Amino acid sequence: MTGHDIVAALVVMQLAAPAATLALVGLPALLGRPLSERATTQIVGGGFAVGFLAAISLLGLLFARGFTPEVVHSGTWFAVGHHAATMNLVADALSVPYVCFSTGLCWLVNSFAGKYLHREPGFARFFILLALFGTGMNLMVLADSIDVLFAGWEFVGISSALLIGFFFERRNAIDAALRAYTTYRICDVGLLTAGVVIHRAVGSGDFERLFGADWPTSTCLVPAGTATVVSLLLVFAALGKSAQVPVSGWLPRAMEGPTPSSAIFYGALSIHAGAYVLLRCEALLDMAPLARVALVVIGAGTALHASLVGRVQTDLKSMLAYASMAQASLILVEIGLGLRVIPLVHVVGHAILRSLQILRSPSALHDRHELEAAIGGHPDLGGWSPLSWLPARAQAAVYRIALERGYEEMAVTKFVVGPALRLLERLAAAERAWVTWLGEKRPRREGARP
Amino acid sequence: MSGMEGMSIAAEPGLVLGLVAAVVTAPLVATAVVAAGGFPRSPRTPAVGGLGVALAAAALLSWLCYAAEGPAFEFGPRFGGGSLVHVDGITAALLPTVALIELAIVLVAPKRFLDPAATVRLLLGAAATTALFSTAHPLALVVLWIATALPTWISTRGTPGGRPAARVFATVMLLALACMTGGTLLMLADPPWERGCGLVGNAGGWLVAIAVLLRKGIVPFHSWYPALFSGAPLSTALAATMPQVAAYTAVRLLMGHADHGAGVGAELVVLSQLALVTAAYGAALALVQRDLRGLIGTLAMSQSAMVLAGLAGKLPMELNGALCVWISSGLALTGIGLVAWALESRAGPLSLATPQGRFYDAPALAALFLIFGLAAIGLPGTLSFVADDLIVSGSLDEQLHAGLLVIASTVLSGIAVMRGWFFIFGGPTAVDGPRHTILPRERFALTALLVPLFAFGLWPGPLVATLERAAEQLLGVTADGEPLPAPAAGEVTIGSP
Repeated sequence: MTGHDIVAALVVMQLAAPAATLALVGLPALLGRPLSERATTQIVGGGFAVGFLAAISLLGLLFARGFTPEVVHSGTWFAVGHHAATMNLVADALSVPYVCFSTGLCWLVNSFAGKYLHREPGFARFFILLALFGTGMNLMVLADSIDVLFAGWEFVGISSALLIGFFFERRNAIDAALRAYTTYRICDVGLLTAGVVIHRAVGSGDFERLFGADWPTSTCLVPAGTATVVSLLLVFAALGKSAQVPVSGWLPRAMEGPTPSSAIFYGALSIHAGAYVLLRCEALLDMAPLARVALVVIGAGTALHASLVGRVQTDLKSMLAYASMAQASLILVEIGLGLRVIPLVHVVGHAILRSLQILRSPSALHDRHELEAAIGGHPDLGGWSPLSWLPARAQAAVYRIALERGYEEMAVTKFVVGPALRLLERLAAAERAWVTWLGEKRPRREGARP
Repeated sequence: MSGMEGMSIAAEPGLVLGLVAAVVTAPLVATAVVAAGGFPRSPRTPAVGGLGVALAAAALLSWLCYAAEGPAFEFGPRFGGGSLVHVDGITAALLPTVALIELAIVLVAPKRFLDPAATVRLLLGAAATTALFSTAHPLALVVLWIATALPTWISTRGTPGGRPAARVFATVMLLALACMTGGTLLMLADPPWERGCGLVGNAGGWLVAIAVLLRKGIVPFHSWYPALFSGAPLSTALAATMPQVAAYTAVRLLMGHADHGAGVGAELVVLSQLALVTAAYGAALALVQRDLRGLIGTLAMSQSAMVLAGLAGKLPMELNGALCVWISSGLALTGIGLVAWALESRAGPLSLATPQGRFYDAPALAALFLIFGLAAIGLPGTLSFVADDLIVSGSLDEQLHAGLLVIASTVLSGIAVMRGWFFIFGGPTAVDGPRHTILPRERFALTALLVPLFAFGLWPGPLVATLERAAEQLLGVTADGEPLPAPAAGEVTIGSP
């Protein structure tokens, strides 16, 4: 068995382990015989543990080989003429560290959620979706072709929306899930179209043909025009998952989901999916200054927006959501500035800190209430803000803007979503009227034969 | 494929003919049994038997065609553009799909619906539909159009409150049948399958195109589609729309004309542009539907139009994608429709105006609705993902606006499906509300629909290869756009002329 074979086996294990747990827990639930809580947690946790150990082994192996990238060709999924969907995966300096921490976090959250969701009616559903997310995330991270990456990206989006709507008895959870899914779906257009452009440009979706396989020193192999189009489409795709202005409104509402999923999705992994894709395709951005400028402008704007709005939030999870948004935006700015390793370190650091904060938030609130009860009032935490330098009227104006979440949602609802839905409602009403008229029984004309 | 070499069935046309006969006659035998008063208390039994035999024969036929890797099998006199029995990759892929859809409908049908008369109508419709998918003979297609439309109309008319929908259906179908009959006769008088076809043949082609437009529910003649889903029993609406009789007719009558360089006529190109608009428009309308049937109707309209949009592709890849959408949307939307029917039979009509809170009433149906819904909108690992990939790539390869409309349709359908799921199954549940378990026959039927969706999604090679051969033969070009070498003499027509 060669070193490449071992790497290939370890890479495949990253996908096979969570996918197997998905089947093991999902099929009995589908057949109306869900497993016990204990079995569910152990199976899904076992899958993540196997994946994590494989990822650590892979990291060690890769380190020993000087981080030489290894591409695992798993064959062609399907092919028609010049269009071939390949199942290529890659183990390199970007994917392996990322998969280590993503699988590790999934494992930790699995352990936390086993107790946190004890006797919750949707216990099995949560773990099925967690396994689906883990499979999708690993697929996305290890992808060496746009087809595989898109498949993983879709799994992440679907599991995310379903977990936001986990408590679907509540109307707020339904609305939040639909808002998130709508945003994802619209921004997915970017990734889908980028995939087609890549296929047309290089004849397949393989990243090797697009920018080589030696991250972080990979270089762009396609003309600047193609690189610019693909990069702009990828930036558009990243806007949705990374909750950037003007489509950031879903993120604070996403906290309607259970705390463990909020931690791993919006504090750690899903929120950085866009950044990961851009890091993977960094070589294209080198040839696309327009996309870089767009990233920096959008990222900086969103960071400012999230910092201001986050300061006036009155609940802890919303505050943390805006803090996540601000950091994700800064990471996009770093990518836009052409940095490669620093954004990766930033992603890992932020993900670990934020998921800890979100997981800790329910008990932090509990602690705070105990403290307040003990001292008989609110503790004076003091604090300083650069905004205190502004004149009082300007501070009030900024406060009002922040309280209204920068009027972002109002603008999107008033000028885009509202008119579109009103138009569709009118069209649907016209359709109903037309069908009613067509289906009416006409009175016979006088003199007509009965 | 190497393992399949040497398994050619070119020398066994009788076997192919026998299987086609089994597919068509098995439902007819079951019809005769039910009509003769056999199994009066459970007409489902002979119906399942007949459709089960049809499905098994169709699956075997499909496998034989895949193994043969050969050109089309034709039997009987060739008239106009095709012979009475015509089996190629498209037939091989679609016959099992149609048989499976019909079988699933009979299995899930609530007991109070499935009286002997309704069963006979379902079985006759199934026999006519499978017969239609086995022929390329223009006059046979006309007769079978009538045979497939009649049970739908009778069933809708007999449904309480279904008369308005029946009137709409009858109006559109009469127009469609008139255009189809007139167009076919003109095409036979001046065959476009031969070079130098004149004005009469072209007029015939356009009349057939209008018939396809009407029967397929393409803008501006689309309104009957959601109306049928709202007014007819869901079984009737699904059986009438999911097999996509008009798309098959378009393939047989509007493709392969001698004067069309790339095998696609101007009629089909115009149809495909309207179909693209319909696909996006239907998906957009699905977003604002107020009830579950309206949602399924508009989604079906959108997905059905997507098939027609892909049929006009000049590259086999796009045609291949259209055929994959044909199969995947047929199976997935049938699944959604049957879950909806099962829910309605327990809880009555379902509104989408407010969350209905049905999850804890029927959790298995909730899970299946979600899986079918995701399988309809391109979930990775399902056939629709492969189909979307091919059709989007193919259409973007040819025309930017076509690709963008296909993408818009996919995106909007996805949002509509998710909205439907959350509004039906989400929401507060009454503490003392009913709890319904899924019946074994329902579980079996819905699982049977899921199996090909996932099997061909994870392992699409055989299906895509079969459809690719069929697409190449229809378009006369290879998958890379090179002209296909002409078949050797006697290679195409097998069997007795």
